[in-house]
Amino acid sequence: MWNKKGSHLLIIVEILASFLVLFGVTSLIVYNLQNYQEPIGFEYKNRWALGFDARGQADSTIGDIMQQIKSRVLSYPQVESATVFSSNLPYSMNSSNGNVTNNKATVLAQQFRTDLDMPKTLGVPVLEGRWFDKSDELPDARTLVINAPLKKVLFGDEPALGKKIAFGGADDKRKSTDYFTIVGIVGNFKPRGEYQENLPGLFQMNKGQDRNYTRSMLLNVKPGTDAGFEAKLTRDLGLLTKGWPVEVSYLENQRTNQHNIALVPVIIFLIVSGFLLINVALGLFGVLNVSIAKRRGEIGLRRALGATERRISRQFVGEMWVLATFALVLGLLLAGQFPLLNVFNLKSSVYLTAIGVSVAVIYLLVTLCALLPSRQAATVQPAVALHAE
Amino acid sequence: MIALKNIEKVYRTSTIETLALTNINLTVRAGEFLSIMGPSGCGKSTLLNLMGLLDAPSAGQVEIGGQPVTQYRDVDLARLRNQKIGFIFQSFHLINDLSVLDNVEIPLLYRKGDETGPSRRELARQALEKVGLSNRMKHFPSQLSGGQKQRVAIARAIVGQPAIILADEPTGNLDSAMGNEIMSILQQLNADGSTIVMVTHDESMAKRTHRLVRLFDGAMVGDSVLMLNEER
Ligand SMILES: Nc1ncnc2c1ncn2[C@@H]1O[C@H](COP(=O)(O)OP(=O)(O)O)[C@@H](O)[C@H]1O
Ligand SMILES: [Mg+2]
Repeated sequence: MWNKKGSHLLIIVEILASFLVLFGVTSLIVYNLQNYQEPIGFEYKNRWALGFDARGQADSTIGDIMQQIKSRVLSYPQVESATVFSSNLPYSMNSSNGNVTNNKATVLAQQFRTDLDMPKTLGVPVLEGRWFDKSDELPDARTLVINAPLKKVLFGDEPALGKKIAFGGADDKRKSTDYFTIVGIVGNFKPRGEYQENLPGLFQMNKGQDRNYTRSMLLNVKPGTDAGFEAKLTRDLGLLTKGWPVEVSYLENQRTNQHNIALVPVIIFLIVSGFLLINVALGLFGVLNVSIAKRRGEIGLRRALGATERRISRQFVGEMWVLATFALVLGLLLAGQFPLLNVFNLKSSVYLTAIGVSVAVIYLLVTLCALLPSRQAATVQPAVALHAE
Repeated sequence: MIALKNIEKVYRTSTIETLALTNINLTVRAGEFLSIMGPSGCGKSTLLNLMGLLDAPSAGQVEIGGQPVTQYRDVDLARLRNQKIGFIFQSFHLINDLSVLDNVEIPLLYRKGDETGPSRRELARQALEKVGLSNRMKHFPSQLSGGQKQRVAIARAIVGQPAIILADEPTGNLDSAMGNEIMSILQQLNADGSTIVMVTHDESMAKRTHRLVRLFDGAMVGDSVLMLNEER
């Protein structure tokens, strides 16, 4: 007979290792898939981003120049609408975020600064309340528009319109004038694209001193607008700004870049762990093959006593399931820490789904690895199997 | 009970072909205690394996209870092995990781349980009692002597109350005292109604059976009645 304890331990370790690798990959895949299911919340086709380098220009004048640029841009028939936007443009590498609080919950939110024409230019729907209007441009109007995820974490199912929130933590000291009133709620806004998490975010009116630091713009151009227009635009804007370099990028191209950034690690991890998993499967298959070969005598005996071929394979699959269950209990103790400790700040549903998928794949793998050799061993004539003892 | 018709058995490996049995015609009648003798390698085990459906003949036909088994599928063969036949091997073939009681219980695992009758454990206990081993049920095979192991194997063979017991040199690995003990048990089982076919090297053991078949080089060279058949 075979050294059961030794090879059992080996099998358990192999199954445990493959479970952990599988759990890692599936977590990553589930994370990206879950994100993908949430719409990005804006349009990217025929949207251009303009980024300006104001060079040595005095800061105090830049807000006005950006306004002139916007007027000029809108004068072209190719441009349907335009909006000034902070540098964390959709599909750009920049981000800007900070804590916001309603004195109950506090959450890290993406912060965007833009103007009256943003919903029109990016095709962002306003779900509740309103977008900014002229009244919000007044210096002492302290208003905000938030997105749906931010509403959800701060207010749950309670209404959020008209509620006040402030920047910073819940326990910070602040005056009543530090608060902003929520006037509107838009849907999702995922500037990094499809594979970004559906993060909380808020929009501020671009006004006052801030106007001088908002040096990007988004355009909605007519379909078919080409590089010829882009050249003319940069030339004209160069004249208008007396030589500010301008960088034009198409959101559709930027989107592809962002997708690569999100997906390339997944694919690399997938390939690496795929190889690892194949190795483990082969190892498992080998170990099982050997241990089943060593038990040929037992198989012959059981068949001589009336076991069917099916019954024999079932016995071996059953034994492997017991070992797999041992390994998976250990694996679950480890993998279970991820949702419990909130590792990497991912939603626990990501980990739980990944655990479920990995457990299913392991049982499938183990079943196949046990079924094939035991079937083969069971079809040998009992006399021949017994003879081999 | 068991009939072999024009049986031929050839073992083929990639390099050699061995003609193990040729032109065997043999009928074992119900209630018989038949012994098979012959020099080593003459095909005795092969013959017993064919009777016990542990292997398929290269040509010819095996009939159990008047039914040819040639067309039987795995499940049908498994059912016959389980219900009609009990096998006893020279080298016992006990499973070392299982207790004596668990070893004896194995054949019962492969049949539908009888809800009304005694439990599997109870049947296994009764079988061990018949071979005088009820005080060793919790032991493991490695803790037993050769004679005790063979008695466990006999208990395993009879636990399912098969009509036929096939024993391949059951006393071959035992000293004569233990061999006699085993032989007495087999005789008792035969007296209680079991049909027994036993391969042996031992002339004195063969003399205690009803009928002796002699094999030489894969062929039957003798078939003699040793005592008056006690037909039942
Ligand atoms: N599984 C097998 N494969 C190849 N040859 C075998 C096999 N089993 C038995 N033989 C050969 O068939 C012949 C008869 O063997 P066997 O029936 O075991 O003889 P016996 O039991 O009379 O000693 C021998 O020559 C043996 O070597
Ligand atoms: Mg033999």
